[in-house]
Amino acid sequence: MSIRTKFILSIVLVSSLIITSCRKYNESYEDPDEEWFSGGSQTFFDGNTSGFDHAFTGLDARQMQNHEVGDKAFDAAFVTAPAPLNSGLGPLYNNVSCVSCHVNDGRGKPPVNGESLSSMLIRVSIPGANSHGGPNGIPGFGGQLQQRSIAGKMPEADVQISYTNINGTMDDGTPYTLRQPSYTLNNAYTSLPPNYLMSARVAPPVFGLGLLEAISDYDIIKYADENDMNGDGISGKPNRVWDVLTASYRLGRFGWKAGQPSLLQQSAGAYNEDMGVTNFVFPVENSFSQIQHDGINDETEISDSIMHAVAFYMQTLGVPARRNAKDPVVLEGKRIFNQIQCASCHIAKHVTATDMAFTSRSNQKIFPYTDLLLHDMGPGLADMRSEFQADGYEWRTPALWGIGLTQKINGHAYFLHDGRARNLTEAILWHGGEAEASKNKFKKLSADERNAVLKFLESL
Amino acid sequence: MRNLYIITCILVLISCEKEKATNNVVSTQSDVLRDLSLNVYLSTYENLSLRTNKFHQDVQSFINNPTQENLDLCRSGWKSAREAWENSEAWLFGPVSTNSIDPSIDTWPVDFIRLDSVLSSTAVFDNTYINNLEESLKGFHPIEYILFGFNGNKSANQITSRQKEYLLALSENLRQLTLDLHNSWALQGGNYVTEILNAGSSNLFPSKLSAYQEIANAMIGICDEVANGKIGDVFTTLDSMGEESPFAKNSMVDFKNNILGVEAVYLGNINGSDNKGMEDFVRMYNLSLDGKIKQKISQSKAALAQITLPFGRAIFEQPIQVQQAIDAINSLKTELEEGLLPLIQMHVK
Repeated sequence: MSIRTKFILSIVLVSSLIITSCRKYNESYEDPDEEWFSGGSQTFFDGNTSGFDHAFTGLDARQMQNHEVGDKAFDAAFVTAPAPLNSGLGPLYNNVSCVSCHVNDGRGKPPVNGESLSSMLIRVSIPGANSHGGPNGIPGFGGQLQQRSIAGKMPEADVQISYTNINGTMDDGTPYTLRQPSYTLNNAYTSLPPNYLMSARVAPPVFGLGLLEAISDYDIIKYADENDMNGDGISGKPNRVWDVLTASYRLGRFGWKAGQPSLLQQSAGAYNEDMGVTNFVFPVENSFSQIQHDGINDETEISDSIMHAVAFYMQTLGVPARRNAKDPVVLEGKRIFNQIQCASCHIAKHVTATDMAFTSRSNQKIFPYTDLLLHDMGPGLADMRSEFQADGYEWRTPALWGIGLTQKINGHAYFLHDGRARNLTEAILWHGGEAEASKNKFKKLSADERNAVLKFLESL
Repeated sequence: MRNLYIITCILVLISCEKEKATNNVVSTQSDVLRDLSLNVYLSTYENLSLRTNKFHQDVQSFINNPTQENLDLCRSGWKSAREAWENSEAWLFGPVSTNSIDPSIDTWPVDFIRLDSVLSSTAVFDNTYINNLEESLKGFHPIEYILFGFNGNKSANQITSRQKEYLLALSENLRQLTLDLHNSWALQGGNYVTEILNAGSSNLFPSKLSAYQEIANAMIGICDEVANGKIGDVFTTLDSMGEESPFAKNSMVDFKNNILGVEAVYLGNINGSDNKGMEDFVRMYNLSLDGKIKQKISQSKAALAQITLPFGRAIFEQPIQVQQAIDAINSLKTELEEGLLPLIQMHVK
């Protein structure tokens, strides 16, 4: 072999290696087998009742015990203090346990058929912002309405929900009816100011949140386009919220408006506001300075270790695998989902940050279908109540993974922040603002194409 | 030519046998789902509903004629209903879970401070009032507290008229919720049973595999709950306040009935009937596994039987027996996880 031939062969070999190498690190490269693994290595092939309730694989014995302690605490029903077991409910509260709202670690719903408000709550405030830029709670009520109380104390108010039907048609003439909710507070224990604001919220699913927490700030903010510089009609805005423990502003990730920076603060806030259970993050009763305050000096009502265990439990819940991911109709639905730009906000894939201290969620390729950013969703969904950087029109893109299992695991198909949508089609049709164009493209689809989109969503 | 004819015939026969065997497998897998749905799950819920109805009648009799004998009848009625409920905890999926019926009838602990307040109030205990009460104020355990008292030795004349009113309202609520539960499964009601009967083409169970996994996971789930929750948590912390059914001293019976629920699903056998159960599926492929599961169910029952004291005392006075029961039930759980689930994964489509 001549030197010239050797040289040419070397060039070809090196070029091939470089091309292969570049392809390996090309993020747009799609591995068809990834379709199934929504939670990366924390994906579980269980589409049944326990589908949202799998502990991460790869936890060591100490972590597994912590997860199990958190699991039991998540189920614990609190009772009036003083009591030998699960003491400290209220005096004001929305429900008695975490699992009462997040049934099977899944999604809550608005009350139906005369039920009382259970897995849904009402945030309240007056215009303006508090000293940290968060919602300005109503004096005498705070930032969340508690519609239940222990014996001898008055609930803050009763909540009445009514719906107004809105009729519409798809472009092919198929009629539909949406229902617009309205909320009235009755029997308030003291007078409410005339200009108070309300925002209804159903309990969101709690699985997979540890993986969302593990995405780096950079990998979220890189999708932000607050002033729509690329002109695609989609902005995407990060929320900056107050971190109580570090006394600093951090990227908001959790809650319907990304108002919480971490799962610890999210779950500690829920203990305090939803159950009236004080903890080291929020050690002051939600009723403090109100006439309902019990005056019992029993703070904190759960130990620090239980608080950490519950947060860890939520950090280490895996994600159900896709079903029928390779079904031709599902794949067609996915194609249309991308084509009509749903994926501009519901971004499919993320890679979690490398974290050698928490290896089970480190460097995972996941498919949550969210950008974790705020978007203007139009006047139809607006609550006109701001939360840090999120204004009254903006909502954080919710993750879509596991959404197809809602009916089976939670026994209903109510979607959106207040559960107004009675199925996935209605949820799509409520999209407005930045998503108005995508909604209109959905309405233009044929019945078969719309069905394909739904089949795709149900496969998530 | 003649040899060729014979070989062809043999091949056709073998082929037919193979097809017949495949059909038998599919048929048995469907039969198991049918018998479990109708004769174990639905039948148990019907039984639970009948027993809570009978219990409600017992309570009415006691209120009309508050003798010790009638109180004892109520206590027996409570235990009878409790038995069916604890059996059914071996399949905590479907409406009992999605409609939150489980926490509505079986929440522990009781909120005693609130209970005192409710009893001392002038509230009318109608259905609306009871429906709006917290879960810790209704269902089996507040009823148990009124019927048995803290130490399990309450006499008929110690039950106040206000407690009787509340007892009646709670028994009616329990009757209604368990009736709702039965109706949610019934063919002529919510028809959840058909979801399992038609597994493979139903909305909730698009494959038989998903139905089999749901059934097996529920069996595993209750073993875990009994071994590591109901027994394990109380034993580990030596805190008898965590004990369920302490007033009736019924916890050991509850645990046994949970395991009997697992056995009923495995054998397809409840109340003496013998239908197809998980064993019929397992025996098609792995007789050794069948033997092991049955052995571990027996060992679990035997280990529980070795605890002869009420559970709240046994954690202090019979710790070895308590630990052995935990180990036996965990061993059954492991066999179901590592034997039954993979077998299902391998053979059910």
